[in-house]
Amino acid sequence: MILDKFRNFSIIAHVNHGKSTLADRLLEETGTIEGRNMKAQLLDMLELERERGITIKLVPVRMNYKAKDGQEYVLNLIDTPGHVDFTYEVSRSLAACEGAVLVVDAAQGVEAQTVANSYLAIDLNLEIIPVLNKIDLPSAQPDRVIKEIEDIIGINANDAISVSAKTGEGIVDLLERIVRDVPPPNGDPDAPLQALIFDSVYDNYKGVICYVRVVNGTLQAGKNIRFMSTGRDYELDEVGMFRPDMVKVSELGPGEVGYLAASVKTIAEARVGDTITESRRPAASPLPGYRKVKPVVFCGFYPVEREDINQLREALEKLQINDSALSFEPENSAALGFGFRCGFLGLLHMEIAKERLSREFGVDLVATAPNVVYQIVLTNQSIIEAHKPSDFPEQVKIEEIREPYIKLTVFIPEQFVGAAMQLCQEKRGTYVGMDYITPERVRLTYDMPLAEFILDFHDRLKSCTKGYASLDYDHIGFKAADLVKVDLLLQDEPVDAFSFICHTDQAYHRGHAVVGRLKELIPRQLFEIPVQAAVGKKVIVRMNIKAVRKDVLAKCYGGDITRKRKLLEKQKEGKKRMKQVGRVSIPQEAFLAFMDVTKAEDK
Amino acid sequence: MTQSTDPFEPPAGGLSLYIHVPFCERKCPYCAFESKVPSEGEIDLWLETLGKELKWWEKRIGKPSLETCYIGGGTPTVITGPQWLSLADIIDSHFTFEPDAEVTVEANPNSLKADHLLFWRDWRVSRVSIGVQSFDDAELLQLGRLHSAAQAYEAISASLASGFSVNSDFMFGLPGQTFRNWARTLSQAVSSGISHISLYQLSLEPGTPWESMSEDDLSDGYLPYRWAQWYLPRKGYNQYEIANFAKKGHESRHNINYWEEGEYLGIGPGASGYLKGWRYKNTSGITEYSRSLDRGGSAISSGERLIGEKRASEAAVLALRMSKGIDREEFSSKYGISEENKIIEKLSRFPVDLYEISEKRISLSSKGMRVANMIWSELV
Repeated sequence: MILDKFRNFSIIAHVNHGKSTLADRLLEETGTIEGRNMKAQLLDMLELERERGITIKLVPVRMNYKAKDGQEYVLNLIDTPGHVDFTYEVSRSLAACEGAVLVVDAAQGVEAQTVANSYLAIDLNLEIIPVLNKIDLPSAQPDRVIKEIEDIIGINANDAISVSAKTGEGIVDLLERIVRDVPPPNGDPDAPLQALIFDSVYDNYKGVICYVRVVNGTLQAGKNIRFMSTGRDYELDEVGMFRPDMVKVSELGPGEVGYLAASVKTIAEARVGDTITESRRPAASPLPGYRKVKPVVFCGFYPVEREDINQLREALEKLQINDSALSFEPENSAALGFGFRCGFLGLLHMEIAKERLSREFGVDLVATAPNVVYQIVLTNQSIIEAHKPSDFPEQVKIEEIREPYIKLTVFIPEQFVGAAMQLCQEKRGTYVGMDYITPERVRLTYDMPLAEFILDFHDRLKSCTKGYASLDYDHIGFKAADLVKVDLLLQDEPVDAFSFICHTDQAYHRGHAVVGRLKELIPRQLFEIPVQAAVGKKVIVRMNIKAVRKDVLAKCYGGDITRKRKLLEKQKEGKKRMKQVGRVSIPQEAFLAFMDVTKAEDK
Repeated sequence: MTQSTDPFEPPAGGLSLYIHVPFCERKCPYCAFESKVPSEGEIDLWLETLGKELKWWEKRIGKPSLETCYIGGGTPTVITGPQWLSLADIIDSHFTFEPDAEVTVEANPNSLKADHLLFWRDWRVSRVSIGVQSFDDAELLQLGRLHSAAQAYEAISASLASGFSVNSDFMFGLPGQTFRNWARTLSQAVSSGISHISLYQLSLEPGTPWESMSEDDLSDGYLPYRWAQWYLPRKGYNQYEIANFAKKGHESRHNINYWEEGEYLGIGPGASGYLKGWRYKNTSGITEYSRSLDRGGSAISSGERLIGEKRASEAAVLALRMSKGIDREEFSSKYGISEENKIIEKLSRFPVDLYEISEKRISLSSKGMRVANMIWSELV
C-alpha cells in the first residue's frame, strides 16, 4: 500500500473526557471490531485500568476505512496514557503520529491535561483535530468550549467536530476529517532504517515485543537490528501489525505502525523512545526525544511473610519485564526484614504496581509510605541522594537538604480560587501566577515540593473544589528546604518503615497524627506499648497502647479438644497476617493506612 | 515395646467415660452445647441408642474398668427416676469401676430433686456439679436460667448434705455484670460450702440467640478473672487449672485426664473421645445419632490423629491449662527435645512474667493464665 493512504494518529484528552469510548466507536465504525465482540472500552485492557477508567498501557490498532472519496485508507490509532505520571510515554506515542484528535468534554471544557497534552502535540508538530465530545449532554456548551480551546490552547477550533461517543453521532465526520487533515507519513523506504519504539511489552514466548513506528527505511523480518541507545544487536524474529490482534507480515515500510520481536530478554533493553536501526546499515543518528525515565517517587515493598522474599523478587522482576519505568533494589529494614526499594513515575504508577503484584502475582506485601528523592549536602560538601528516610545521615553531618519541586498548574472555577490558594500555601507552595482563562475559570500556577504533592494534594484539591479542579505538573529541579526526619518508635525501638521526612514546622502535627493512628491500628498486645515520634533524640509525641485484657478464657466443650485447637489455629491465622516488629504484632492495615495516617494530620 | 495406636483395642491403662445428655428444660440463649428440649419419647430413644453405642464399643474394647465417669449435658437432671435406673444399668453392664472411681453428674438447681440425690448416692456417684452460673437474680434472669439464687443455694446444700463433693459453675464477663456482683457471687459460692469452683467467661457463640450481640457489650473478662485468682486461693480454693479452683483433694480427676492426654470414651450425640492418640467426635442430633447406630454403624462422624509437631503442640497447650504445666522430662521423652525447645522458644517471645520455666516444668504464671488464649494461639 502506498504511503499517502496511511494516517497515524492519537487521541488526547483530559481524564474522563471520553477518549476510550470514542476510540471504541472508531473501531466499531470501521468494522475493525464487531460491536458484539467488544468489551466496553477495548483499548483499556488491564483490569485495573478499566476500574479506574484511565488508560495506562498503549495498545495500537490498525483500522481500514473506506472514505467518502472511494479510497481505502489505513488508520493507525496509537493510544496514549491519560495520567500525568506518564507524560514521557505520551510524548513518545505522539511522536509516532502525524496527527492528534483532541477530545474535549463539551460540558466541562478545557482542563489542565487538555492543555498539557495539546502542547506536547503542538511541540511535535502534529496536526490537531479538535473534537467536542458528549454533545448529547444537556449541559453541553459547545460555543463556550470552542472559545476556551481557542483562548487557552491557542489553536483554531471553529471547525471542531461535535461528536457523541455514546450515541455515535459525528463519528463518520471525524473519520473523514482524519483522512482529510492528518498528513500522510513521509519517509524514505530506501534510507537506513529508523523505527521509533513507542511501547514494549513482554510475551512469555516471544520475549519483548516492541511496538514501533517506522520513520525511514524498511523493517524486514530476518534482518539484524540494533537498538541505538544501547548499541546492541539482535536478530529479528518476527515483524507484524495490529488488526487489532497481532498478525505477522514480511515487512513494515516507512509510516507504518506495527510490532517486532527479536528475542529481547528484558524490557530494559528495549526502552520506549529508543530508535531501532539495521545492524548492517545503521542510521547516522537516532530519532530525537529519547530519554531514560527516572523514578521520582519511592517506597519500600516488603513481603508479609519474611520467607516470601524470593516470591516478591520474582514478581517484581516479572513486573519490570513489562514496565521498564519501575526500578527496584533490595533493602533491609530493621523492622520489616528484607524487601525492595521501588521507584515509580508517580503515585498512580506506584499503586498500579502494588495492585498488580497482589492481583497478578498473588504477593502479600506491605508498602511503606511513599517519599521523594532528597539531595543532601553534607558538611564536607559532598552531595548524596536519599531514596528513603533511613538514608538520611545524622543531623550534625547535614549541611543542607534539597527536595524536588514541581511547577503545578491548576484549573478551577473562580469561586474556588480562595480555597485552592489556601491549600497550595499550606502545601508549602510558592505562588507563581494566576490568570483568568475565561471570566469563570482560573489558572493557578505554583511551585510546590513534590513531597507535599504526593502526600494527598490531589484528593484535597478535589474535595475543596467539589471535584471541579484539574491539574498538571512539570518537574523543575531541587530546592533547599528546612526538613527533618521524624522517627517512629515502638517500645523505644525505631521502626524505620514508619519514619518520614517533613518540614520542621509540621513535625509535631504529623508526628501526632501518625502516633495517634498507630495507636488505633495496632491491636492491644500482652504488654503496654509506648508509641513515640522523635526528631533526632528528642521525643515530640508519646502515647501508650494498653495491654490486652479481653479474651481471657472460654469453656472447653466437654473434652472437645479438636474444636478448641481449631479456634486457636484460627486465632493464629489472624495473627499471621500481622508483621512482627520486635515483640509487637502490627497488622498489615497499619502499614497500608500509613499514607492515610500522614494525610490525616490537618483534619 | 511399641504402644498400640489402634483405638479399637482394649485400653492399656485407665479409662474415663463421658456420657452426653443432650436435653434441657429450656435452651439458654448463650449456649452452643448439643442440647434441646426433649420431645415425647426422645429420652427413651436416647437411652436405647446409648445401649447400642456401648455394645458397639464393647465388641472392640471389651469391658474396661473406669477411673472416672462424667455424665454431663445438657441437663442430666431432666432425666427422671426410672430413666436414671436404666441409664445406670446400661453403664454398669458395659463397664467395671475402679474402687475409688470418681463419678460426676451435672445438675441444674431447678430440676435437681431429692430422688436424684438418693439414687445417685445408692448407685456410685461421688461428685455433683451444679450449674449455678450466678448468685445474682438479675443476672440469672438475663442468662435465661430457670432458677433463682435461693434455689441454687438449696440445691448445693442438699447435695452437700447427701455427702457429695460439690462443684458449681459460674460465669463472668456478662453484659452489665459489675465487679461488685461478681465478688458477691464468688463470696456466696465460698460460703455455700462447695469444694470445687469452675469459672467460665461468656463467649458469644455462632448459632445461639446471642451470637449477634456485640463483643463490646460484654464486660471485660480480665478483671473478674484476676479477682477470682486473688480471692479464691485465700479462701482455700487453689487454681489447679485455667478454669478450675478446688480445695485440696477435690480436684476433678476427670477433667485433669483431658489435659494430661488420658484416654476417654465419649458416648452420646455430639460427644468427643480420645483413644490411643486418636480423637473422634460423634454425630450430632439425637435423630441422626440414633439413625447411624440403627444402620449398624458407629456413632462416630469424624476423627483425626495428630502427629509430629501438631500433636506435640496440642499436648503442650493442654498441659499449660494446668497450673503445674508441662512435665519437661515426660514431654521430651514423648515428643523429643526439639519439640520441647520449640515450645520454649515460642514462649520466650512473650513477656517473662507470663510463664515460668524451671528445671522440671514449664507453666503459665497466674498472669499468663489470664491471657492464655493468646499464648496458646502462638503455640499451636
